[in-house]
Amino acid sequence: MATVFLKNDNIKINVPVGTTMRSLAEKSGASMIFGCRVGDCGTCIARVLEGMEYLSALNEKEEKLLQMIDSRESDVRFMCQCSVTDKDGNIVIEYI
Amino acid sequence: MIPDILTIKPDVYFTGAFDPKIRTFDIIMKTANGSSYNSYVVRGSEGVAVMDTVKKEFSDDFFARLERICDYNEIRYIVLHHLEPDHSGALIELMSRAPEAKLIISGRAVMMLKGIIRTDIPYEIATTGKKISLGDKTIEFLMTPFLHWPDTMSSYLHEEKLLFSGDVFGSHYYDERLFDDAVGDFSYAFQYYYDHIMRPFKQHVLNALKLYARFDIDLIAPLHGPILRSNPQGYIAKYAQWSSEAKFRKNEFGTKMLSVFYISSYDNTHKMAEKMMQGADAVEGIRASMYDLASLDENNMIDLLEESDAVLVGSPTINGDAVKPAWDLLSCMSYLESNGKIGATFGSYGWTGEAPEMLHDRLRGLKFRVPLSPMKVKLIPTEEELEECVAFGREIAEIAMGKMVEIEM
Repeated sequence: MATVFLKNDNIKINVPVGTTMRSLAEKSGASMIFGCRVGDCGTCIARVLEGMEYLSALNEKEEKLLQMIDSRESDVRFMCQCSVTDKDGNIVIEYI
Repeated sequence: MIPDILTIKPDVYFTGAFDPKIRTFDIIMKTANGSSYNSYVVRGSEGVAVMDTVKKEFSDDFFARLERICDYNEIRYIVLHHLEPDHSGALIELMSRAPEAKLIISGRAVMMLKGIIRTDIPYEIATTGKKISLGDKTIEFLMTPFLHWPDTMSSYLHEEKLLFSGDVFGSHYYDERLFDDAVGDFSYAFQYYYDHIMRPFKQHVLNALKLYARFDIDLIAPLHGPILRSNPQGYIAKYAQWSSEAKFRKNEFGTKMLSVFYISSYDNTHKMAEKMMQGADAVEGIRASMYDLASLDENNMIDLLEESDAVLVGSPTINGDAVKPAWDLLSCMSYLESNGKIGATFGSYGWTGEAPEMLHDRLRGLKFRVPLSPMKVKLIPTEEELEECVAFGREIAEIAMGKMVEIEM
C-alpha cells in the first residue's frame, strides 16, 4: 500500500496503486477543494511536498493549466488529474 | 447628450456608467442607492489603455464617454480586471471598434473567457509584476485572485500612484459626484459590499493587501461606487481589520471553537447535542458551545459559524428531510470561508432518518472536512448511545486540535 499524507488536514491514508487523489480526498472527508473535476478549472491545485515520482505523470490538461496560471513551480499539480502509481510510494500533499 | 469629461487624475478619466435605479444586484445584494459600473481610461504619450468596460445595457453611455477622450485607433490596450459581465459587457463591441487594441487578462480569466464572450478573441496574459507602457505612463499588474472572482487582478499606474483595484474596495452606491469626499455618506454601502462580496475570501483579501502594500497609493479606483481619494490608506485599513479581526472568543481565551447547532422536536436530538458538547469540551484547547437553531438569528449564525473551527449540526428527520433551520444555518456559509473547518452531523429519528446524511453531504459540498460518518439514533437515545455521543464529540474536538487521522482504503 502507498501512503498519502494530506498535510492541511493531518490525514494519513493507506491506498492501493491506481487510487486517484480525488477519490482518496473525497472518501477520507478531506477538505481538498475540487471544482470541475475534469482538469479544466484549476481549483484543485496542490503542492506535492514529497513523492512526485509516485504520482501519474503530468498530463496535457495539467500542462495547459500550469501555462494559464503562469506557474513556474515544478512541484505543483492538479489533484483531479493525479493517481498513485507505486505501492511503496510515500506522498505528501499540501493544498494551496 | 454629450457627457462631460470626468478627470480623476492627470490623463486618467472616468468612462463608466451610472445605474441609479438598480435595487437588487447579483440576486443577493440590496442596492438602495443604485450603483455604477466604473471604467477608466489612461492616456500616455504613446497611446491609451481602457481599464474595464460596463454592463452591456449601459454600453452607449460608456462609448459616449470614451469618444470624448480618445479615438479608437489610439487604444493600445484593453484591460479587464475580471470578466464578470457587468464589466465585460461592452468588450466585444469595443474590440470591433478598436481592432488594434490588445486585450489583457489574468491567466485564470482565460479559463472562463469563452464562457463569457462566446467567441474566440486574442488576448495577452498578465502576471504579477508584468508592466505595460504607454510611453510616459506605466501600468503594473497584480494578481489578486478570488476577489471576488477567481480571475480577479488589480493594476497600479505608477506615475499617478493610482490603484485600479477591480471589485476590491467597491460599493454599490450611485452618486455622480464620483469621489468619496464629494458623494453622500456611503460608509454603509462600503461595508455591506465587503460583507457580501469579500468576506468569504478573507485570506485572499489579506494576500491582496500585502501586494498593495508594496505601492505608494494616492487614489483607489474600484469598479463600483465612489473613487477613493481622501484617505486611501483608511479604506485599506478597514479591509485589513475586517479580514483579520480576531474572533472574539478565540482571542480572549486562546482556544479553538467547536459549536454544536441543533434543533429538536422531542428533546432527543437535544440530548445528543448535550452529550457531544460534553465530550468536546473535555478536550484541552477546545471551547465548546451549543445553540438551539429554533431561536438563532441569521446574523448570529453567520458570526458563530465564522468563529467555529468545528461545527456539529443536529437535526431530526421530518418527511425524509432535515428541518429548515438546519438548512438555513448551512446556507449562511455562502457568506464565509469554509476551508479548513471540520464538520459532523447527527440526529434522532423515528422512521427513516435521512437528515444526518443529507446534512453531511451538504457540509462536504461546502468544502468542510467531514472525517466521521453521521451519527443517528432511533428515537430516544439509550445510555450507551449517549456515551457514543460523548465519544463522537470528543473525537471531532481532537481532530480539530490536530489529531492525525489514519485511514485504510
